[in-house]
Amino acid sequence: MSIAAVPATVAERLSNTGTANALELRGVSKYFGALGALVDISMTVQPGERRAVLGSNGAGKTTLFNCITGDFLPTSGSIRFFGEDISEFPAHERIRRGLRRTYQISLLFTELTVLDNVYLACCGVSRGRFSFLRPRKNDALVATSEDLVHVVHLEDVKDTKVSELSYGQQRQLEIAMALSGAPRFVLFDEPAAGLSPTERSELVEILTGLPEHMGYIIIEHDMDVALRVSEYVTMMHNGAIFKEGKPAEIEDDPEVQALYLGGDDGA
Amino acid sequence: MSSVDQSDLAKVQGFYFSSGSSLRPAETKPQSGPSIWSAVPSGYWVLAVLLLIMPALVSDFTLFQIFGWTFILGMIALSLMFLGGYGGMVSLVQMSVAGMAGYMVAIFGPSAITDISLGWPWWLNIPLALIIAVIFGTLTGALAVRTEGIYTIMITLAIASAFFYFTRQNYTIFNGFSGFNGVLPPELFGVDWRQAKPFYYLTLFWATLSFLIVSYVSRSPFGLALQGVRDNSRRMSALGFSVNAHRIAAYAFASLIAGIGGILLTWQSAQISPGTAGQGPVIDILVIAVIGGLRKPIGPFIGAFIYVLLKTFAIDVLVSLGLSGDRFQLLVGMSFLLIVFFSPDGILGLWDKWRESRNRDPLTERSSGGLQ
Amino acid sequence: MRRFIERHPVWSLIIFVALAFFIWMIFAVWPDWLKDLIGRKKVFLNALFNGVTLGALYFLVASGFTLIFGLMRNVNLAHGSLYMLGGYVGYMVASSTGYWLLAFPAAFIVVGAFGILLQLFVFRRMEGDDLRQTLVTIGISIVMADLMLWLWGGDFYNITPPEWLSGPVQTFFVTGVKRSTGALIYMKYPVVRLVILAAAIVIGLVMWVLLNRTQVGMLIRAGVDDRDMLSATGARIQLVFVGVFAFGAGLAGLAGVVGGTFQSIAPGEDIRFLLASLVVVIVGGMGSITGAALGAVIIGMAEQFGSVYFPTYAVVLTFLIMVLVLAFRPQGLMGRG
Repeated sequence: MSIAAVPATVAERLSNTGTANALELRGVSKYFGALGALVDISMTVQPGERRAVLGSNGAGKTTLFNCITGDFLPTSGSIRFFGEDISEFPAHERIRRGLRRTYQISLLFTELTVLDNVYLACCGVSRGRFSFLRPRKNDALVATSEDLVHVVHLEDVKDTKVSELSYGQQRQLEIAMALSGAPRFVLFDEPAAGLSPTERSELVEILTGLPEHMGYIIIEHDMDVALRVSEYVTMMHNGAIFKEGKPAEIEDDPEVQALYLGGDDGA
Repeated sequence: MSSVDQSDLAKVQGFYFSSGSSLRPAETKPQSGPSIWSAVPSGYWVLAVLLLIMPALVSDFTLFQIFGWTFILGMIALSLMFLGGYGGMVSLVQMSVAGMAGYMVAIFGPSAITDISLGWPWWLNIPLALIIAVIFGTLTGALAVRTEGIYTIMITLAIASAFFYFTRQNYTIFNGFSGFNGVLPPELFGVDWRQAKPFYYLTLFWATLSFLIVSYVSRSPFGLALQGVRDNSRRMSALGFSVNAHRIAAYAFASLIAGIGGILLTWQSAQISPGTAGQGPVIDILVIAVIGGLRKPIGPFIGAFIYVLLKTFAIDVLVSLGLSGDRFQLLVGMSFLLIVFFSPDGILGLWDKWRESRNRDPLTERSSGGLQ
Repeated sequence: MRRFIERHPVWSLIIFVALAFFIWMIFAVWPDWLKDLIGRKKVFLNALFNGVTLGALYFLVASGFTLIFGLMRNVNLAHGSLYMLGGYVGYMVASSTGYWLLAFPAAFIVVGAFGILLQLFVFRRMEGDDLRQTLVTIGISIVMADLMLWLWGGDFYNITPPEWLSGPVQTFFVTGVKRSTGALIYMKYPVVRLVILAAAIVIGLVMWVLLNRTQVGMLIRAGVDDRDMLSATGARIQLVFVGVFAFGAGLAGLAGVVGGTFQSIAPGEDIRFLLASLVVVIVGGMGSITGAALGAVIIGMAEQFGSVYFPTYAVVLTFLIMVLVLAFRPQGLMGRG
């Protein structure tokens, strides 16, 4: 099932950024005491761009995501999202501006069903979230949730409790949650971790099939997946940006290979 | 501009995922589920009929003292269950909120303490009392939600104690130690609502209404979001929900239910005093909610029924065991301990376990048929 | 502290000036305008001393509570009952042997042993389920309260301190000037309360040293920060838990003897001191001994000054402080953000 183009009106609104970059980090640092998890990170991502952030464990990739989404505030530096300075915003304010994220360890609502999880995700950015009324038969949000469940191939288990899903299914649900609410930009944190080869191809299919205006950054250990779904790569090491370039360049770069030889290769 | 509204989503949904016709809303399974007749378990229907005809079966005393009290305490415990079971916040301030509502009805409305009570009519003093009670509960919630969940019990207990001490010491508004007596329900439709049968139906009505509303809301976006906040507040933030706003709203909703219960409680004994919301009753509400079970709205009412039975007949039980009738608290405490030890989900938990064991396939040790 | 001063220069100045004035009030002879405004200095000094010594009592109770919560995430709502048990046990021992000093170790050991039993046979089974543990402590407090009521009835029990500790002692704080001779009048204050204050300070220092300068202390502090990490290090975590719970309970028992000496032991004191512990740790910050000390002094003084200067609303003052702390610094004054 492929994802077609979005109609002009909605697409315009969703990606109407003028000339602003989707994501702009300037001098972002995060220190835990004396430990520099992020050191002076500056990067620019265009709307609709597909970026991969690679690096060994401890390079600071997840910390980078945490700073962008607002899980914690950076020690210094600024973050701009589509031209707006979100450095001091609480997490839910950033999300309402069209930013989404998946987690390395699935953060799902284990006691609720698959459909409920996606429905909640759709509610989060819509006006109905405080509603005390149950959705009516033809509720748009319910329908959207059902569609999203189809997109990630989970329609057979949509009424099952999350705690009873397999690991791979839970990871798929993570993605559905991130796609809900028509985001402008998504952060995927190691979506391929623990997936079987077939599941990985499905994942690549889902990612490459996302609408054009939706940009994303993907953290991945599996170089194969990462290089297939991205058009530009940022390599991190010890909390700083080590190198940036096109996937092919990075793959062939001798310094990158030296760094990865003998190190973690994403298994 | 920062939120996407439903009409946009409707457009996006149609085009986002190219579908042909297979995903049009007509095929969507409605969230409201199967028809109301099959959705509600038959046990509830039997109970409903039984409750409706109860006045024909039992004495006035039972109606007023046992059932009336069960419905009232059940409602207040329901407010605790809503916050604790669906929201993950165990709040001990519910009884105080109920007490606040009761006090406000006595102060704004008619009572025997004529130099304080304003004597305003029911359509003024009741809404006013509820509003004040909700404000009280909401402010408490606002203070409690900014700390980690485990502090909620402590903070709400401290505030409940503050309320108790304040009402006991303040004579200008709360009439101190003696409180207010002569607080009677208004004579609406020519009925004396403190007679056994009318009072029974009055409390049954409100208890049923709050039960139904809580059950309904639990599956609404607000209720689902609240459960999401309970399970994973970090994720909820990352989905765009303001976690604190939801929690505070939950306190407001729960306070309304507790407030109604408080007014009924005041009418039942026609009086309210600091002891009504004293530390004993405050903890008793928690005991009731836990004994019944925090998972489903019927739990608090089961717990209340057991508590009321214990309280009414405990003396006989104790004497038959050879103990003095004064040892009621000991009995309650021990029962509570036993339940928490063996079935933390209360009576409902025991019921679920029993049903599960009946359905268990002896070969695979797995039980068939889902639990609700 | 330096960072605080750097970040909030105006507040620091205000606090400094207020503190300076306060210290002046304590040591100087009061001019008449101050006496007209607030009343006699003797009353003020008495309230101050009573507040600090009451704070010492609150510290003893609250530090046990905060240790137990800080390490084991167990909101021990039976803490007040442990206090009261210590008081009754202390009374029995003091009145039967005639030795007041014996009451302390007796209470510490008995209540501490009870704490060991609780941790081993009850709380250990519910590890990780914080709510369930708290509920159990509620049940235990209900049962204990009724059992103690049964055993000792509703009377007020007062533990009399020995001869050599009774009576007042002259302190070096000036309350006024004798108009006839111009000589300074010094304040007299009960010895026993000063002794207990000194003992509480010593205990507090010992605890601080234990927590910050020993290996066991390091384990406990690490556990307060991250319990899972602690068990991952292979430390004998269960032993640490039992030890901490026993110590915390023992402290509460000790405090019971103190309370029985200062005031009295009677039904209802358990709730009162549980509440005091709650408010003290909410204000001072959870899991922090210094926080418990700070909170205890603040609450003790608020209570005493409140009962002297605003008797009808003394309770309000204490809870107002708690509400203010919750509103502006929810983790407590010394709590970690």
